[in-house]
Amino acid sequence: MHANRIEKLLFIGPVIVLLILFSVFPLLYSLFMSFTDFSIARGYTNGFIGLDNYVQLMKNKQFLVSIFNTAKLIVFGVSTQILLGFVIAKLFKARHGSRLTTFLRTIYIIPIMVTPLIFGLISVYLFDPVYGIINYILQALDLGTMTWYGSEKTALFTIYIVDTWQWTPFTTLLILTGLLNVNESLYEASSIDGASVLQQVFHIEIPLLSRVVGIAVIMRFMDIFRMFDLIYASTKGGPGISTEVISLFAYRQSFNFYKTGFGSTAALIALILTVFFSSKLNTYLSREN
Amino acid sequence: MKQYKKMFNASIVQIILIIITLVSIFPLVWIVLASFKTELEMFRVQGNIFPNSLYLDNYKEVLFGNNSRLQFLKNSLIISLLSTFVVVLVSSTAAFGFAKFKIKNSQHIEFWILSTRMMPPIAALIPLSIIIRKLNLFDTHLGIIILYVLFNVPYATWMLTIFFRQLPHEIDEAAMIDGCSWFQVFRIISLPQILSGLFSVATLVFIFTWNELLFAMILTGRAAKTLPVAITEYAGGVFIRWELMAAAATLQILPAIIIVIFLQKYLISGLSLGSVKG
Repeated sequence: MHANRIEKLLFIGPVIVLLILFSVFPLLYSLFMSFTDFSIARGYTNGFIGLDNYVQLMKNKQFLVSIFNTAKLIVFGVSTQILLGFVIAKLFKARHGSRLTTFLRTIYIIPIMVTPLIFGLISVYLFDPVYGIINYILQALDLGTMTWYGSEKTALFTIYIVDTWQWTPFTTLLILTGLLNVNESLYEASSIDGASVLQQVFHIEIPLLSRVVGIAVIMRFMDIFRMFDLIYASTKGGPGISTEVISLFAYRQSFNFYKTGFGSTAALIALILTVFFSSKLNTYLSREN
Repeated sequence: MKQYKKMFNASIVQIILIIITLVSIFPLVWIVLASFKTELEMFRVQGNIFPNSLYLDNYKEVLFGNNSRLQFLKNSLIISLLSTFVVVLVSSTAAFGFAKFKIKNSQHIEFWILSTRMMPPIAALIPLSIIIRKLNLFDTHLGIIILYVLFNVPYATWMLTIFFRQLPHEIDEAAMIDGCSWFQVFRIISLPQILSGLFSVATLVFIFTWNELLFAMILTGRAAKTLPVAITEYAGGVFIRWELMAAAATLQILPAIIIVIFLQKYLISGLSLGSVKG
């Protein structure tokens, strides 16, 4: 059955229009603004300033730190969350089917649905060096206390801990879905052939899971790359500029300091970086399969 | 003997799972409990997470006090529900089209749709917020709903396309021979078959919009402010009223908890969709 042109247009047209409004138009507009000294406070621009925004950005220490911080959060965050997610998914799989496990899994994934804003706010209290329960527990276990958000040395590490705390359930859920799809007979056949549990992990599970793990990596990569809420709610980039990240930088330049042209330039560079890395990841993973 | 060892191992795993689950939701438990504490209790005992009594004044203060947040809660509900409705409406027709029609370059369009997911929102947000201001839609429900629809339609379309593709073609063809138009096939035959998929997508879109902070911060002032923005204001001052913030935060996470507990089936099918098919 074929649809004629008008029918196709009626069904698909609106989405194409939305897509243009949402991706092509902002991209071009950002590009335009990045060559101007546009300010959202004035509402107009004094004209083109050439590549000045780009030059300024490359010299801006805060921006460079924000990129470096984002990269650190991605590398450590994604790897920890995938590893932990795999281990916890194995545990859930081991007890799969029991009512208690189903119930626990339901409760376990609640953080995924909660805004990082709330996690950020709570973490300020939980990790408070004086009032916080985390230091209290560490002290009770005789492990010594930490300054957490309080010092430039540990603030970014604390962000990483909180992000991992909230999002490991997400990687767990994806990996568990993958694990439950692994055909049971593969385990049986391999254990008859004398494979150890570790060999099963490396030769059966990891190859079969490459797709789910790939998706988990891409999703977490993108989410950490655009991280805003958690940092806005906890440190606002501080102390100093120790937890500055790209989204926060672009946001503040555009809307707090009214240097919208400058902020757009930062956002544009962020956009180019994500699209570049995501498509690289994507092709790498599709080649794997 | 071996059997006992197996049972022992199983119960160890079960206990570890219980501990992991408790750790995972500890921050949320903490904030819900904190919402029942008095101002004094908040700073009393470091290790005590339980309130002395079921103290409800924080909620009274947050909802009906001098600085009531009730209006923002209402705004959040209106904005999220309406955005979700429009997103589902627009993306389901488009997804049907992608799944059933032969479209030139449809692969490129699908990649285009997916690539918008990669975009850091701030990149699109700066230009779009300028347009919204120019259209005089700043601080209106309509302004923020338009942006939420723009941001969620591409992904919703992509997910729904997967659901529509799973439907057999034979029924459509039979219906069209009987004189149904494509629109009737969509409404009467296909849509009812993917209701659960539609529901998972709607659930996810609702949560995305309910939790959204950045857009709402930039595009709303006093009138259309949403709950997440109102919550950040508790943390703004030098002196944070933790117990009030906890009550507001509990109201914010309540829908999420309800969805996870009652709509879990839809949620998991939505979240893991990309990992199984795609």
